[in-house]
Amino acid sequence: MFKLILEKELREIIGTTKFAITFGVCAILILLAFYVGARNYQVSRADYEASVQENLRQMEGLTDWNQIDHRIFLKPQPLASLVSGVSNDIGRTIEVEMRGELRDQGSRFNEDPIFAVFRFLDLEFVFTIVLSLFAILFGYDAINGEKERGTLRLSFANSIPRDQYILGKLVGSFLALVVPLLVPILIGCLLLPILGVPMGSGEWMRLGMIILAGILYFGVFLTLSVFVSAMTERSSSSFLMLLVVWIFAVLIVPRVSVLIAARTVDVPSIDRVDFEKSRYSRQLFSERMSAFRSWAQDNPIGDDHRAFGEKMNEFNKGQDDIYDEKMNLLTEQLNEQRENKSGVQQRLALSIARISPAASFSLAAADLASTSLGLRATYLEAAKAYQVQYSRFMKSKNAGDNRVVISHRMGADEEEPEPIAPAELPVFDYNAPATSETISAALPDLGLLVLFNIIFFFGAFVAFLRYDVR
Amino acid sequence: MLGVLVEKELKSILQSPKFVATFAVSTLLILLSIFIGIQEYETAVAKYETATELVDQHFTEVTSFYQVENKVYRKPSVMQIFVSGVNNDVGSLSRISADRDVKLEQSAYSSDPLFAVFRFIDFTFIVQVVLSLFAILFTYDAINGERESGTLKLALSNAVPRGKYLFAKFIGSWLGLVIPLSIPVLIGLLLVVLFRVPITGTEWMKLGALFGVSLLYFTFFISLGLFVSSMTRRSSVSFLILLVFWINLVLIIPRGASMAAGQLVDVPSVADIEAQKDRYRTDQRQSLNKERSLRWRERFSGMQNLSRAERRAFYNQNRKEWEGEDNDYRTEMDVRVAEYNRQTNEALRNAKLSQERLAFTLSRFSPAAAYQLSAMNLGGTNTSIKTRYEDQMFAFRDNFNAYLSKSQREERAEIRRKAESKGGGRMMMFMGGGGTEAIDASDRPRFVEPEESLSAVLQASIIDFGLLSFFTLATFVGAFFAFVRYDIR
Repeated sequence: MFKLILEKELREIIGTTKFAITFGVCAILILLAFYVGARNYQVSRADYEASVQENLRQMEGLTDWNQIDHRIFLKPQPLASLVSGVSNDIGRTIEVEMRGELRDQGSRFNEDPIFAVFRFLDLEFVFTIVLSLFAILFGYDAINGEKERGTLRLSFANSIPRDQYILGKLVGSFLALVVPLLVPILIGCLLLPILGVPMGSGEWMRLGMIILAGILYFGVFLTLSVFVSAMTERSSSSFLMLLVVWIFAVLIVPRVSVLIAARTVDVPSIDRVDFEKSRYSRQLFSERMSAFRSWAQDNPIGDDHRAFGEKMNEFNKGQDDIYDEKMNLLTEQLNEQRENKSGVQQRLALSIARISPAASFSLAAADLASTSLGLRATYLEAAKAYQVQYSRFMKSKNAGDNRVVISHRMGADEEEPEPIAPAELPVFDYNAPATSETISAALPDLGLLVLFNIIFFFGAFVAFLRYDVR
Repeated sequence: MLGVLVEKELKSILQSPKFVATFAVSTLLILLSIFIGIQEYETAVAKYETATELVDQHFTEVTSFYQVENKVYRKPSVMQIFVSGVNNDVGSLSRISADRDVKLEQSAYSSDPLFAVFRFIDFTFIVQVVLSLFAILFTYDAINGERESGTLKLALSNAVPRGKYLFAKFIGSWLGLVIPLSIPVLIGLLLVVLFRVPITGTEWMKLGALFGVSLLYFTFFISLGLFVSSMTRRSSVSFLILLVFWINLVLIIPRGASMAAGQLVDVPSVADIEAQKDRYRTDQRQSLNKERSLRWRERFSGMQNLSRAERRAFYNQNRKEWEGEDNDYRTEMDVRVAEYNRQTNEALRNAKLSQERLAFTLSRFSPAAAYQLSAMNLGGTNTSIKTRYEDQMFAFRDNFNAYLSKSQREERAEIRRKAESKGGGRMMMFMGGGGTEAIDASDRPRFVEPEESLSAVLQASIIDFGLLSFFTLATFVGAFFAFVRYDIR
């Protein structure tokens, strides 16, 4: 009997023009998202490579490592083109200095605000907005629509158990909608390697999980629609209710949650932090100047300029170390304070946002694509580790100290300096967190989506058992 | 007759349960968006004020002009309450210094990516996405719904011309939706006044224009709904078609257009441009240094056979001239570098502009994009906000740098004078500054925000106004012809 109901439901959905139209739209959108994502990846990959090369090229012919302006770049992630997350909002370029704080600059949306106007069409967007709407469109009259047409009464004139009927409805509509959607998704997946997106086994697994999350999310809206349909008498009112729920879940709750968190937790502005840093830096500078003054009194310049220069460099190096140590301490302190506060703010915002399954899905997808809020932190961490390496390298090249070169005034040193070899610079390579790590980060959200599914499923089940079929 | 028909339409809209629900939701959303917008604006203003105060404080604390680090911030505008546009995506400040290009950095979203995760809701977004959906919801069955319930046959069995009937439908649903929706908008404006948001006359005019264009956009969807409804026999079909239209117009075409333009027009990446600029500057500096050491060698070449005292005397005699010469070369180089940067930036900007033009032209096939573009233009939060500020900042940078190098020269002369009067303290000059008293920079040039005149803004919006009117008219005429030939049975 269950099979019969299932079959009827499948036929009823797949045979309609509604299905043909919506499936066509979804299929086009999904394929478009994959295609554009892959193209976008190629473009940003080419950009990235050009930037890295250009960075080295501009150093060619220089003769002193002190003269270089070195930049490192965030390598585009293959999955970021499908789930852009915050990858377009955070800075991609970091100017590396031997000491001091590193700051990411030049976010894509800041560099090209044109893309910020309408934003991107990615897979995550298609799922959150379009597919959820379609789930509602197919589920809103699942029960009350049959009642209005009178077919519900007809069905129950036969000896059909209600539980089997609603089970057949739920499973049938889920299968009828999800299985066809998998076709364009699979074709899209095939497009990725064809268009030259390097997909390792880890990426495939993560992409698989993203699609799974998408299906779970789709399931939430479908079961919710059947649930609401089984709670209401008329299909027009269930549609209206669902539309209101959709607007809130997709558009309102996530945004409002962030604003509530912003009101509740006060995070010191970057300007304030910067000001504290620069003030402290100036204080250290004047301490240094007075140290220098007393040093200069003890060490008169004398006749041997070269020896004096050596001595002074020695002194300066010691001062540099003191400065670095103190400055780093304060910088770390201030940054940590700000990060802690903004961590609290983030957690609060995201916990509230998770009331909405749309937020859960977005967050899970961004985690899996490693474009979540953590992206910036891991990028900066990698850059910091690189800075240590870079600084060691530069020191080995005798660069970066506050050396005072007195010699050229006196016209000594005739030899032509040799050009540096930029290729010797240590290479920076950003590696996204391991697959297992991203998956475990996404698990709570996946769990929430499953929970929503279960709740609405049982809701629909129970509501239908008590439904008045007349 | 028209009056009766309009009244009937009004009643049928206002009395439906659909109306209560949608009216409640839109009221809530509009008020929420304006309230949040005000709060965000106030936070932004507070942030801006602290930031500029901190810069001022910096000027009162530093003890040497060589320590000066100047920054200029973008000032929040009242219009961002209603249209946030790319305001949060574009950098909020630029450093102003001789050896750095003006460049807006630290956008609100990049400093706090949390806000970028879900973005903000503003009035424009609600009109563009939510209210357009509601407009469809009320008009999708305007004609075919009446046919299905049999009332169309009844109504037209009276002596009612079809054109008049359709027009009454249009007027009735327009009034039935627009009048209730203007209530929360007016309350929202009242909120703006109550919260004492400083809003100028020009801004009120811009707001007026913004509501005008919002109405036009809303009207388009009403007439689109009528059009599709009078083209189809069944209301379920017309709803589906309209929903597909809505998804395409609101969500797909605008995004697709900017992405297509991104693929079609090649723009060099900013990193490339930066590297080019760096390279030029380093080259220039290197050759400057080389020339300088050659010059010094030449200057000293005449003193080979002199005694130490004579050498010193010779040096002291010519020092001023030589240093002046060196300074002139350096200034020349700075000018060259600035000019090169300006040219490179200009080239990049032009490439971006042609990309943007293509993107916007393509996207304007969708009234939703036309609406958004004109709203952003009216709100001053369109993509040109970046160039507008950067241009002004470039001009300010020239001004400020002239001031700074003049002050630095004076300071150096002062230190030299002091050192010479004390005797022997020449080392002080190596590292610059280090006095104990704060500098007096009260006469420094101040940055003035770029202003957009109302007429310029309105002129730029004319295309989108025109497009929206055209779309509305076209769909209404379409609805008219479709309805005249409609089979009412």
